[in-house]
Amino acid sequence: MSLYVLMKVLESAPSRYDRGIRILTLGAVDGAYDRLTSQVEKGQRVLDIGCGTGALTLRAAGKGAIVKGIDVNSQMLEIAQTRLDEAGLSQNVRFCEMGVAELGCEQTSCYDVVMSGLCFSELSGDELTYTLKEIKRILKPGGLLLIADEVTPKSVLKRVFNRLIRCPLAAITYLITQTTTHAVKDLAEKIEEAGFLIGSVRLNWLEDFIELTARNPGG
Amino acid sequence: MVNSIKYAAVNIIETLLRGFPIPCKTGLVKIGDPDRKSPVFLTCNYHLTVERVKKCLHGIDCYLLVANSRGINVWCASAGGYFTNHSVISILKTSGIEGLVDHRTVVLPQLAATGVEAGVIQEKTGWKVIWGPVYAKDIPAYVKTKFKKTRAMREVRFPTVQRVEMAVMWAFPFSAVAGLITLTFWRELFLPLTGLIWALPLSIFLSFPLYSKRLNQKKKMTGFNKYTVLFDFSPIPLLLWGVFIGFLTLSSILTNTFTWGYIFRWGLISFIIVLLISIDLMGSTPVYKSGLHEDRFLKVVLDEKRCKGAGFCEQVCPRNCYEVDRNRHIATMPGADRCVQCGACIVQCPFDALYFKSPKDEIIPPETIRRFKLNLIGKRLVKVEGK
Repeated sequence: MSLYVLMKVLESAPSRYDRGIRILTLGAVDGAYDRLTSQVEKGQRVLDIGCGTGALTLRAAGKGAIVKGIDVNSQMLEIAQTRLDEAGLSQNVRFCEMGVAELGCEQTSCYDVVMSGLCFSELSGDELTYTLKEIKRILKPGGLLLIADEVTPKSVLKRVFNRLIRCPLAAITYLITQTTTHAVKDLAEKIEEAGFLIGSVRLNWLEDFIELTARNPGG
Repeated sequence: MVNSIKYAAVNIIETLLRGFPIPCKTGLVKIGDPDRKSPVFLTCNYHLTVERVKKCLHGIDCYLLVANSRGINVWCASAGGYFTNHSVISILKTSGIEGLVDHRTVVLPQLAATGVEAGVIQEKTGWKVIWGPVYAKDIPAYVKTKFKKTRAMREVRFPTVQRVEMAVMWAFPFSAVAGLITLTFWRELFLPLTGLIWALPLSIFLSFPLYSKRLNQKKKMTGFNKYTVLFDFSPIPLLLWGVFIGFLTLSSILTNTFTWGYIFRWGLISFIIVLLISIDLMGSTPVYKSGLHEDRFLKVVLDEKRCKGAGFCEQVCPRNCYEVDRNRHIATMPGADRCVQCGACIVQCPFDALYFKSPKDEIIPPETIRRFKLNLIGKRLVKVEGK
């Protein structure tokens, strides 16, 4: 999963993004996204934060949900739109070029599900706090929050191991694209602090990739 | 004392690594003792920029917002699509600044005007954007004159200090790689090669004013593919190379070490260095468009029917190309030949009165520039061919 740093290479060429991610993760991200979206039901209103090329959006739309996908990268959104048209799901989905800071425009309690794949790790601490606060507001009481993202391992040993694998990859990625990813620290705790009830947490063996579901208790 | 040593160290190290992005933490920085009326400045999260801006703001009670540009400097990040509306909206909404001041005016660096749309920021956040000076060192004077920008404050320059910075940007990474190779395989070569790698760029950039007028923007040289040219060579770096070879020959004759092999080896090595530095000589300067991008063939055209003489173009043009005729209420472009195709005027014009035109008369409308910038790294959607 440490190969996620190489995602950055792909992001600089959005048209190669999907195929590249699939090869790099040996399909692992597909599994995570499938499991998360299996909880989405027909007719639900869903928001996909940082939808990119629409991996989560398309899965949710395929299950009959009404999805809004937001991302700040207009080129990724173009690809998402093309994929959507090809899948024949356009009637249920709307893409918007919009960042998390604009979540304030969304109505209170209007979504059944808010989901986000590999986006929280791109946010600054302030942005993440703001985003979680806004998600809490726009999610209906009892609504679901679904997250798949890179996290910092809890155990020291795995953290060291993770660093060892990650460093050379991060260096290569940095040389090519001059950016790197930042794994989120204590993501589950932050989500709990924001007032959500954690439903399930699934970590990979290296403890650096999380699949998390949480519920908005309301109030 | 400790602070000035730290500041000097940061400047030296990060000048050596000037070609690489160095991100720092985004967020809100308090300068001095600001109150609810204090001005709010915003900059990118390139570490060197933030340190320099903080130093320039010293003595002014204000807030500084550091927005995400992925560690790239303001101008490059704006033109390349890394310093965008989203960066600015995000920092305004998530940094907590809205709870600290009563006003809603934020001063952005003028060079961000290529990538950030003042109109969109106002519409989405209620914050009014005003374009500050190009250089942070002008901020104290700008604040003193109640945010009035002089003509000089609007213009990019390429003074000696910055020319040295650019030479170092090229020299350091090259010499580091060459140093590693020579220290491993050919120790005798280490010192002379390192010296050469530093001396050639320094002389090319320091002598820049001598030949800058002869650099030809429109010239299409050896094609790399149809959209880029490989080298934007002017004869001057070659001339400097010739001088170096002359010096080499003369010194070897004088020290009685002359052989053709010696001249050939050093001639070849130095030629490669000159070539590498000249790949994007014009792009390393703020006063020319990079020779590697087809954007240099574009011309900014003014639609006089749409222009209302509001003067946004005049406020954001870093080359002072514009002058607004206040009587006729229309912009004029007396300095059009100085244009570096940054696109800031096109992006900011609220009446869409400006657009790019290619030599083949294709029109690139404002919405395309606003959406895709001059996208340096991603897929280039604006394709223009030279004549």
